[in-house]
Amino acid sequence: MVAGKHRTLLTRKLLRELWHHRAQMVAVGAVVACGIAVFVSMSSVRYSLEATRAEYYSRYRFADVFMQLKRAPEYYRKTVARIPGVASVSTRIVADVTLDVPGLEEPATGRLISLPDYGNAPILNDLYIKSGRSLQPGSDNEVIASQPFLEANGLRPGDRLRAVINGHMKELRIVGMGLSPEYVYEVQPGAFFPDNKHFGVFWMGRRSLESALDMSGAFNDLSLTLSHNGHEDDVVSELDRLFKRYGSLGAYGRSDQLSNRFLSDEIKQVGIQISFLPSIFLAVGIFLINIVLARIVAVQRPEIAVLKAMGFSNRTIALHYLFFALTPAILGSIVGSVLGAWLGKGLMGIYGDFYNFAHPLYYFRFQEVVIAVVLSVSSAMLGAFGAVRRVVQLPPAEAMRSEAPKLYRPGIFDRAEIQKHVPVSVRIIIRNLERRPWKAALSVMMIASAVAILIAGRYTYDAVERMTEVEFTEKHREDLTLLFNDSMPVSVASTVGSYKGVLEHEYYRDEPVTLHSRHRSRRQTVRGLASGGGLQRLIDSNGRRHALPPEGLLMTTELARILSVVPGDTVEVEFLLGSQHRRSVAVAGTLDEILGLSAYMDIKSLHRLAGDGGAVNGAFLRIDTSRARALYSEFKAMPGVGGIMMLKALKKSFDDLIAESMLTSTLILTIFACVLAFAVIYNGARISLSERARELSSLRVLGLTKKEISVILLGEQAVLTLFAIPPGFLAGIGLSVLLALSLSSELYRLPLVFNSYNFLFSFIVVVSVSVVSGFAIRRRLIRLDLIEVLKTRE
Amino acid sequence: MHENQQSPLFRLSGVSKSYTMGEVVVDALKGVTLDIFSGELAVMLGASGSGKSTLLNIIGGLDVASRGEIFFHGKELTASTELELTSYRRHAVGFVFQFYNLIASLTALENVQLVTEIADDPMLPEEALGLVGLENRMNHFPSQLSGGEQQRVAIARAVAKRPEILLCDEPTGALDFQTGKLVLEVLEKVNRELQTTVILITHNAAIAGMADRVIRMRSGEVYEDHRNAQRRPPSELEW
Repeated sequence: MVAGKHRTLLTRKLLRELWHHRAQMVAVGAVVACGIAVFVSMSSVRYSLEATRAEYYSRYRFADVFMQLKRAPEYYRKTVARIPGVASVSTRIVADVTLDVPGLEEPATGRLISLPDYGNAPILNDLYIKSGRSLQPGSDNEVIASQPFLEANGLRPGDRLRAVINGHMKELRIVGMGLSPEYVYEVQPGAFFPDNKHFGVFWMGRRSLESALDMSGAFNDLSLTLSHNGHEDDVVSELDRLFKRYGSLGAYGRSDQLSNRFLSDEIKQVGIQISFLPSIFLAVGIFLINIVLARIVAVQRPEIAVLKAMGFSNRTIALHYLFFALTPAILGSIVGSVLGAWLGKGLMGIYGDFYNFAHPLYYFRFQEVVIAVVLSVSSAMLGAFGAVRRVVQLPPAEAMRSEAPKLYRPGIFDRAEIQKHVPVSVRIIIRNLERRPWKAALSVMMIASAVAILIAGRYTYDAVERMTEVEFTEKHREDLTLLFNDSMPVSVASTVGSYKGVLEHEYYRDEPVTLHSRHRSRRQTVRGLASGGGLQRLIDSNGRRHALPPEGLLMTTELARILSVVPGDTVEVEFLLGSQHRRSVAVAGTLDEILGLSAYMDIKSLHRLAGDGGAVNGAFLRIDTSRARALYSEFKAMPGVGGIMMLKALKKSFDDLIAESMLTSTLILTIFACVLAFAVIYNGARISLSERARELSSLRVLGLTKKEISVILLGEQAVLTLFAIPPGFLAGIGLSVLLALSLSSELYRLPLVFNSYNFLFSFIVVVSVSVVSGFAIRRRLIRLDLIEVLKTRE
Repeated sequence: MHENQQSPLFRLSGVSKSYTMGEVVVDALKGVTLDIFSGELAVMLGASGSGKSTLLNIIGGLDVASRGEIFFHGKELTASTELELTSYRRHAVGFVFQFYNLIASLTALENVQLVTEIADDPMLPEEALGLVGLENRMNHFPSQLSGGEQQRVAIARAVAKRPEILLCDEPTGALDFQTGKLVLEVLEKVNRELQTTVILITHNAAIAGMADRVIRMRSGEVYEDHRNAQRRPPSELEW
């Protein structure tokens, strides 16, 4: 009965004091909330992406193994089905064609994929028809088009477009809008970023594709699923053996399927961010709780003594003080979870724009809230540990006495001669910092972490900006790239240069090979470039230009690492097409490119190595823009061209999609870093004010003005803030490097770029936050009650 | 005698002070009228709650009166702005408190320099510390000094600016008998040698013996104001 009453009284004390310290509690809670929001949003997005992907793949029977080849007889399907470990097999005809899209001046590229006739659903890689209908059995010109392409071009089922299939212009009627698990990330082969206006996927009846492409009784695309005991590697090597003579470029599993690869990398990156940022926020939260609670306990020593004298158990009192830490942590984790769910939903929306899921779903699991609460409660306990232990260890009688006077002894500063020329107020600032170096260091560390987050948040934005600059401006000088359907002899292709309006043209050769180096091997395309050419340049992530060696291979650093070779080593090049022979080639150099894995050779040297007299796969063109329109219509009807890539369109699409979402996440991170900086700086100043109210009042009594005492208190905060900036910059660079390393994949590597503007921005943000918190503290400083403070014992 | 020879340093007329403590109005001072003359050593006696500290704080410019007027050298303090009061404290008033209120992060010398740096015509900090007998402890931090020594530093800090008035609120309250007497001797010396007006408030009636003038307060009012025929040296005081 009595114990119960005591408990409610202590609860009342707790509630009132929490209210009294509300500003500090809100600051602590806000830091926790930011950390939890990042954690909850990222981990729910990761789960949602994984769940959405899994659901999509299984519902629409996404295949496990894929292979493209030139042409193989259809009866091989049964041969493949008999390979041990294969569950089901699907063969298709796939072709890239040039499109003439109504309302689009430039030519576009379409990927035509065959669907079984008679309206049957495909065995594998099924379609989700979002609107319109399936193909009518026997229809010759009906297609289902991918949703991103239709939306980007403002087309609907019922509209028509024209395609050049095998040299013949054919009108296609769009009857449905669909999505496929194969094209969650819908990008043109050879491009890294989607350009939905100029590239789309189309599904068409097999028979009409067969006749248009002269492929009856044959297929050029194979996919299969594995049975439970099937091994991907075994099946892949068997497929490679079987189809080598049919122009196979090699079979591969899901992990090398382009769309799945991008999506998996994205999910992995989200996973990395789950641990990164929240731990910084929570660590700062722990330190904040530590210093705030330590101060509350120091001020309440007499009250602790009274409670102990009255017979409250240590446990009750410890719990009472622990709640000062738990309250903001729990409230912070709840607010953070709600905020995280909201951010997660928004983020999933952005991912939904970028990745084409049939049913993108945002899953917010209660589990995440539980983890969030556990995380923040354990952080709070960790932060409160020291102060609560002091409460427990305090003997009642000692608690009644005031705390021992602060010890000052001559420090390094006092031995320095300059101190004599320093005003007393500055000496107070220096001595305070010097007397408790660990506390100063802690404050510096916390402010520095805010600076670091600001820098790292903007770093990713700068890195991506740099990436586009290198990729779209420095590396590529062409306006467009013509992709030939089949490799063709230079003599045939050379007509490209004769079109009126083509200012410069440069052929390239893309040769699918397998590179072998001792026991390592890697399927890779070697690109042959004109030696004197200047339309595609070789630029590394630092923006340096590299020359193409006349002989030997130049490969990206990442590829050299995978093959474990260095310049001077020799690799075996196994040609997958044509003669299929193997040749030794020296590694002439390496190049640290931003995107992808590449190997380059001088085109003439590659022709010699292939031993086929020379063939090319495409051409880079720089065109006279005033002639663009006429050129476009000529290219639209040009036979042998399977695709056209427009650099400007790619860049625009990139800016619209990626840059926008990066900007959003940078903005969120900037806001969170500001919250962190404010919480740290404001709390530091509040605690200083509480510790030194008496001293500052004494100074006021001695006749120092409000301005003069403000200089002493806020000067100390200013010094701490300024001291935090250089280590904050360094930590920011370190954090950015860590981010770059962990976010980099085979698909791209974030270049290390540090804009001075970025550092200036962080500096300005932290200084502004300090000024704002300084004003908030000054309001309290001005209201300092001189008499009350002096009357009481410290 | 004094009253006829010179105009007072302070003239208080009908000074009242009311506090609102929650919903209760407390009248801490009820119409105090008093003149204080230059060079006096006045002891103000009264139990706690008698209003003596409130009166001292108002004279020192730490607090403002609710009603009435206070003139310092004929200038009305009660009409001063916050900034004027700060300047008044800075140049004219020295405070000594029961709990010393030294700046822990500054040495004895620096605590005094704090004041001499902002005063118009201060003495040398060393000189002020010599006056209180601490010339050998100048470079010690407060935590390295005894209570009596800390209080003497506080006195040195208060007098170093050559204030016109030294206001001491229970300066011996936290000290033992011997140390207390030592501190009183320093205050007496300051009054005698520098001609600084001293107002010392205490609830210890024995201290009244060292004063020129004894003012007794009760319930916010002055009920007795008399002059001692002779000042007794603090060393002779007993309590």
